[in-house]
Amino acid sequence: MTKKRTGVFVCHCGTNIAATVDVSRLAKEMAGEETVAFSRDYVYMCSDPGQNSVIEAIKENNLDSVVVTCCSPNLHEKTFRDNAARAGISGFTCEIANIREQCSWVHKNRDEATAKAIKISRSAVRRVARNQSLEPIAVPVTRRVMVIGGGIAGIQASLDIANAGLEVVLVEKLATIGGHMLQLSETFPTLDCSQCILSPKMVEVSRHPKITLMTYSEVQEVSGAVGNFRVKILQKPTYVDPEACKLCDECTVVCPVVVPNEHDLGLTSRRAIHIPFAQAIPASYTLDEDSCLGLNPIRCGKCKDVCEAGAINYDMLPKTVVEDVGAIVVATGFDLYPQEKILEYGAGNVEDVLDGLQFERLCSASGATKGHVLRPSDQKEPKDVVFIQCVGSRDPAQHCAYCSKICCMYTAKHARLYKHHVPDGRAYVFYIDIRSGGKGYEEFVQRAMEEDETVYLRGRVSKLYRKDGKVRVLGTDTLTGENVEIDADMVVLALAMQPSKGTEEAAKVLKIGRDKDGFLAEAHPKLKPVESVTGGIYLAGCAQGPKDIPETVSQASAAAAKVIGLLSSDTLNHAPTVARVRRSHCTGCEMCVTACPYKAIRLENGKAVVNEVLCEGCGSCSATCLRAAIEVKNVTQLQVFDMIEACLTV
Amino acid sequence: MINIQDIRDTARDLLAKGEVRAVIGWRAGSRGMPAEPVVITAPEQADELVWDPTCYHNLALHLVEDRKFLAHARKTAGAPIGIIAKGCDARAIVVLMQENYFKREDVYIIGVSCEGSGMIAEWKVARQLDGAVPTAAAFAGDEFAFATAAGEKRLPAREVMADRCLECRNPFPKEHNVALGEDKTGRALEAPFAALARFETRSEGERWEFWQRQFDRCIRCFACRSVCPMCYCEECVVDSINIAVAPETTAEEKANRIRWIERSAVKSENITYHMTRAIHLAGRCVDCGECERVCPVNIPLRLLNNKMEREARERFGYEPGASIGGPSLVASFRDDDPGAFIR
Repeated sequence: MTKKRTGVFVCHCGTNIAATVDVSRLAKEMAGEETVAFSRDYVYMCSDPGQNSVIEAIKENNLDSVVVTCCSPNLHEKTFRDNAARAGISGFTCEIANIREQCSWVHKNRDEATAKAIKISRSAVRRVARNQSLEPIAVPVTRRVMVIGGGIAGIQASLDIANAGLEVVLVEKLATIGGHMLQLSETFPTLDCSQCILSPKMVEVSRHPKITLMTYSEVQEVSGAVGNFRVKILQKPTYVDPEACKLCDECTVVCPVVVPNEHDLGLTSRRAIHIPFAQAIPASYTLDEDSCLGLNPIRCGKCKDVCEAGAINYDMLPKTVVEDVGAIVVATGFDLYPQEKILEYGAGNVEDVLDGLQFERLCSASGATKGHVLRPSDQKEPKDVVFIQCVGSRDPAQHCAYCSKICCMYTAKHARLYKHHVPDGRAYVFYIDIRSGGKGYEEFVQRAMEEDETVYLRGRVSKLYRKDGKVRVLGTDTLTGENVEIDADMVVLALAMQPSKGTEEAAKVLKIGRDKDGFLAEAHPKLKPVESVTGGIYLAGCAQGPKDIPETVSQASAAAAKVIGLLSSDTLNHAPTVARVRRSHCTGCEMCVTACPYKAIRLENGKAVVNEVLCEGCGSCSATCLRAAIEVKNVTQLQVFDMIEACLTV
Repeated sequence: MINIQDIRDTARDLLAKGEVRAVIGWRAGSRGMPAEPVVITAPEQADELVWDPTCYHNLALHLVEDRKFLAHARKTAGAPIGIIAKGCDARAIVVLMQENYFKREDVYIIGVSCEGSGMIAEWKVARQLDGAVPTAAAFAGDEFAFATAAGEKRLPAREVMADRCLECRNPFPKEHNVALGEDKTGRALEAPFAALARFETRSEGERWEFWQRQFDRCIRCFACRSVCPMCYCEECVVDSINIAVAPETTAEEKANRIRWIERSAVKSENITYHMTRAIHLAGRCVDCGECERVCPVNIPLRLLNNKMEREARERFGYEPGASIGGPSLVASFRDDDPGAFIR
C-alpha cells in the first residue's frame, strides 16, 4: 500500500478554539504524523478563504485524505466533505476532529486542552488513514408525503405540500380534523373567530385533489428511511359509511347512550353515535364503540333501525392500510397538563374551576352555553372571575420547568372576552410576569388592563376551595405585599401545555427523539428547528414545543418547504458509510437483525445481508455482534483500534 | 426417580428406528466415577449409558462440536441428533437455537430431571469422604450413595452438591421431546445467587483486590472457553491467531489482525479476557457452571457470570434460555427499559 497523504487543517474558530488550545503547536504535532503530508492552522477554516485554502492544498500537495480539526461534525462535516469532493477526492476521505465542543469549550487549562486536542486530532488522522474512498449511493425517492396530526399545523403543512404538487396523506387520530384550534372561541391578538378562520382550510383539505384524508386512523408502524418510508396505518371502524350518510341526525335522537362530549371538554354531552360538531371534516357520524351498547341489533340497534340511508354497518372492521412516502411531517400537538395533578387547586374536584379550553367552549357561540358565559354549577352569570396563570408551568419542583408560552396571551384574551360578555363583571388575573413578545401582543395585554379594566395581581394563588356557593381564592399581591382573598364565582386555570399522548406514541413508532420534557427533539435548536434527528422526518406545531397559532403555522409552512426541497428530485444521495458483513465470521445468530432500528439487515442462507439503502450507518449491529462480523464502512474495528491506540499513546 | 433403564430404552428405540443418527449422553468413566460424555450411534451401545450425580458436563457443547464438524466437512446433518439433557443443558440448547446455531428439528432432546438434587462438587465429596476414593455415585433420595473400597458411603446430597445446583431453580428441561423424571421447576435448595450475595458483602475495594489476585493466577489455558457451549465463535476476540480465513478475507485483513487482547498470561490481559468473556455471555450464560468446574487454578468464574445474569434478571426481567422464539438480551430494546445504570 502506498503511503497515505493526509492534510490536517487546524481551525482557530476565532478565539473559540485558539484561546484554549495552542493551535500552532497542534498543527506542528500533526505534521510529525507518519501519514500527514500537509498541516496548517487558520483563523476561520469555514470562511471562504479558509475553504479555498483547503481545496488548493489538496490539489497542490496531491493529498488523498483530509482531517479538519474544528467544531462538531454536525456543523461543518458536510462543508469540508464538499470541499474534498470539489478538489477531486472522495468526500468520505475527509473526517472532522471535534476540538471545540469536545475540547476547547469544556476545558480551561491551556496545556491540558492542547494535549487533549492533539490526541483527538491524532486519532482522526489514524482513522482517516484507513478510510475508503466511497461514493454516495443514489436512492430513488417516493414523492409522496405523510402528515401525522390534523390540527392547524398538520392542515397547513398538508396544504402547502399539496399545493406544490406533491401527494399528501393526512392521518388524524380523531374522527375530524381541526385539532385544538377548533375548540377555541376567538384568537389573540385580533379576536377573530377561530372556527371562521380554520374551517375554510379544513374544507380545502377535504376537497384538495392531492390530499388523501384518513381520519379515525393511527400510525402503527414505520419502516424504511428518508426518501422511502413504508407506513402502516390502522383505520378504526366508524360503523357509518360517510358516502351514504345524509347527516339527518335521526340516529343521535334515538341513541340511548349519553356520554361527555370531548369536543366541549365534558361541558356538554353527546350520544354514542355522534358527529363531533356541525362543521366536522369529513362530515360524517361516528359510532364510538367504547360507549355503544354493543354494536349488536339484539342489544340495541336503534340507530341502524332509524337510518333510512342504510349508512350504519355494525360489521365494519378495522383496516390496515400501507402507504409508501418519501417524507413524514409530525404534527401531533399538545394536551393540557392534567388538572388532577394540581393538588393545591383542588385537583379538578372544585366546582366552577375550569381549564382554559373549557372556558373557550363557554365563550364559543357553538359551545355548551351558546356563547353566554354561565358557570357550570348553576348556569348563572359569574360576576367575579379569577384567572390564574402559570398553573403547572415554570414550576420545576412539582410540575413543568418550562414556560408554556401562550398562557399570558390567552389569559388576557379570556379576561377580555369575559368582560365583553359580562361588562359589569370583575376579572382578576394572578400572574408571575407578563410575557407578551409578538406583533401586537403587548398592546393587546395593555388593552385588557386599561380598556377592559382587568385587575392584574402579581403573585401566586396558594389555595382555593369551595365556600358558600363560591370559590374562595387565597393569593398574594407581591407588589403591595398584601394577602388577597377573593370570593370568585368562577376560576380559570391557565394550565401548562404538555406533549400530547399522540406525540408520545408517534415518537415511539417513528423512533424519533424527545427532549427532557417529552416534546419532539429538533435536530438543532437554532439551525434545524423543524427537522427531527431522523432524516426525512419533520416537526410542526406544539409536538415540538409550546407555541401559538401564528408560530405553529409558520413552522408548518417551514416543514412543508423542507419536504418540498427534499422531494424536489427523483433521487437522494445516501451516505455510503453503511454496514458491511464479514461473511466468514457471521454465524447467522440474527442479533444484528433484531438490533437494527432501520430493519436494514436480513438473513440470507444463514448469513446477515445489509440493505445499503435502508442502512443509516448507526453501528447498532456492530456493537451487538459478538464476533465482529459486521462493521460500518470507515468505522471498522481496525480503525477504532487505531483510534483508541492513538488516544492512549502519550 | 428416573430408572436408568428408561433412558437406555428411549435411546435404543430412537436409534433402532433411525429417528436420530446418534445420542449424546454419559457413560461410566474409566475409574467408575465421574461419568464421561459419550456419543452412541448403535442401539446396542445404549446399555453403556448412565445417569448419576457425576453427569455434570454440559452436553450442549457436543452439539456445537457436531455442527462445527458437519460445517467443516461440508456435510448435511440428515436425521436429527439425540441428546440427553439436564435443565441447564436444555437451557443452553435453547440459547443456541435462539441464536440460530441449529434448528429445533435438528435436535431430539431426551430431557432428564435432576429432581430433588443435582450434581456433585468433587471437592466437597473428597472433603466428606476423608481420603476414601469413590468408584461410583448414585442418586438415593436426599442422599448420594458412593461405592468405596470400604463399602457404600451415603452423604446428604445438600452437603456435597455443586453450588450451581443448590442455587438452581430450573432442574428440569423445559424444552424437550421426551422428558423423564419429575418437573421440579422453581425449587432451589439455596437462594438463587446465594454465592454471589455472600461475595458482595465485601467492600468494593476488597472485591477488586480479590479479582486482581484471581486473574493474576490465570494461566490462560482457555479451558473455560473450551468447555463453554456459548463460546462457539470460529475466531475469538482474544486470539487473532485463529483468524478465520475465507476466500473473501482480504489481504489487508490478514495483514491487520487486531490484537484487542495480548495472548500472554499477564494480569492486565487476563482481566480484559475475563471481562470480555463475561460481557459476551450476558443474557446467554445459563449458569451450567462448567467454566468454574474445569478451571485448573480454581478461579470462581460463576461469580462473574452470575453477576451479569442477576443484572439482566433484575433490570430487564430477562432469563437466558427461557424460550427459543424470545428476543435476545443484547439485541432487544424496549421503550420502558430502565436507564438507571447509565451514569
